[in-house]
Amino acid sequence: MKKLMMGNEAVAIGAMKAGMSFFAAYPITPASEIMHILAKKSEEIGFVHAEDEIAAINIVIGASLAGRKSMTSSSGPGISLKQESIGLAHMMEVPLVVVNVQRVGPSTGMPTLPSQGDILQTKYGSHGDYNPIVFYPNSVEECYKYSIEAFNAAEESRSPVILLLDGFLGHLSETVDVEGVDIKVKPREMKPLGSGTRHFTGLLSKDGIPHTKDPVYYRKWYADYKKRINDVAKKYNFYEYLENKDSDTLLISFGIASRVILPLKKEYSIFRPIRIFPMLDSELKKVCEKYKRIVVIEMNDGQYKGEVEKVLKREVEGIAVLGGEIKLKDIKEKLK
Amino acid sequence: MNYKDYIKWDRMPTTWCPGCSIGTVFKQLAFTFESMGLKKEELAIVSGIGCSGRAAGYYNIDSVHGTHGRALSFAEGIKGGNEKLNVVVFSGDGDLTGIGGNHLLHTSRRDVNITVICINNEIYGMTGGQMAPTTPEGIKTLTSPLGNTFSPLNIQGIITSNKNHFYARCSVYQIEHLKKCMKEAIEWDGFAFIDVISNCIENNGRRLGFKNGYEMLEKVKDDYKINLNPTGLLKDGELGIVKNGN
Repeated sequence: MKKLMMGNEAVAIGAMKAGMSFFAAYPITPASEIMHILAKKSEEIGFVHAEDEIAAINIVIGASLAGRKSMTSSSGPGISLKQESIGLAHMMEVPLVVVNVQRVGPSTGMPTLPSQGDILQTKYGSHGDYNPIVFYPNSVEECYKYSIEAFNAAEESRSPVILLLDGFLGHLSETVDVEGVDIKVKPREMKPLGSGTRHFTGLLSKDGIPHTKDPVYYRKWYADYKKRINDVAKKYNFYEYLENKDSDTLLISFGIASRVILPLKKEYSIFRPIRIFPMLDSELKKVCEKYKRIVVIEMNDGQYKGEVEKVLKREVEGIAVLGGEIKLKDIKEKLK
Repeated sequence: MNYKDYIKWDRMPTTWCPGCSIGTVFKQLAFTFESMGLKKEELAIVSGIGCSGRAAGYYNIDSVHGTHGRALSFAEGIKGGNEKLNVVVFSGDGDLTGIGGNHLLHTSRRDVNITVICINNEIYGMTGGQMAPTTPEGIKTLTSPLGNTFSPLNIQGIITSNKNHFYARCSVYQIEHLKKCMKEAIEWDGFAFIDVISNCIENNGRRLGFKNGYEMLEKVKDDYKINLNPTGLLKDGELGIVKNGN
């Protein structure tokens, strides 16, 4: 049976479906509804309204280590605060889901208006090199679906997986066929705290002991870590490719922007990455080969465009729809 | 279990300087576990970042060494994730009351059932000896070269401002009292904070004119006396427990 709900609600019930049993967050527009819905579930799951965003992510890291599938949610400013511990979760190999319902920045910006301005902070926001898995749905049903997939990818990769939304999508109401989404839930494999003599640390470690003055070992560790994440990511190669055989132009778009440009499929081909990081390198290269013109349409100043150029090693056009609103008419004008 | 079983002996010697008192507290906690008959499966140690933050890695128990200042948040998540675990935070004054000050306010307000051992050496030791929130007025440090002009944080006041509270002040000299407080704190049903007056010779004491760690320890002995039955709050120079509720 289909049920009407908003994107933020779909994320919350998707997480519950995936077996999430611990949630902590701090209120922020436009992500707060995730918190409101899960607060009502606090008899079934651990729930903490934390004193700040930093506490929230560290509380869920603790809960995850204690054996609970855990999640936190926020928007741009709060995600900036969580970044240090997102890196920690990569270093300590902690499965976790972090939801970012994007709004317009920088700083407090335009809190109630949507944007896609956190694409690069999602990939590069924590210090040092790391390799996050990031999903970006574009419908409410997909919010439900990819919150389950985010938990599965987190468990499998032993890393914090980011689920990106935008203010539009978080507040968009659509019907969802909850029973119709059939995704096998990955069980928790990591043993909880209290079952060994392990030391979980943000320091580079070798065989469970901090090992911090050996660049050769660090490089090997990093290569292994990166490969581990990439290997898992390959099992989650989510994208949508709408081919228009008459077009020599490919539009690349994701999230709410990809919904807005959907009518353009009559004139152009459209590629929509859902797993936006790690980049869908081989798929992108293969699809892009036959197109003369490639245009990335996104609600920021060309963040993903640069990433696409890095993969394709050719010039790519961008339509930068800076945050707040997005109109098909304007995009059509710019495409001419 | 013998106290030795709680320690990773193959990781000795520790990173701590000669004359440092963290090792004393570290070992007394292992003795406390032994005396309480706690199994490893019933324990989780969490530490912050700094000299005392390294303690977690030396216990032969599942342990977490997270980001600077956030030990209380990890501990709250761990306790929330598995309430059967005795979660003990072992960290320093800079970590817990400086960068982690906001979490101290709120984790204690929520009365999260964890035990916090704060090695209070009145200085940022690991980073070379900068002024901490606990540094007494007038003390010269790398970041207060003319002497600290601020009064130190009143940790007792913060903890006891909560309706339910457990605040113990101990020292690294009076170790029987320290052990007694650790045991009571772990048994306490709620947030329990132990403020351990300690000494940092290398990055604080030498600048103050102490010749060695022993001299600093003598000063602790002279400055602090145990009050087993305090009425109201502990006065300056008093060691003891102030508690209410549960």
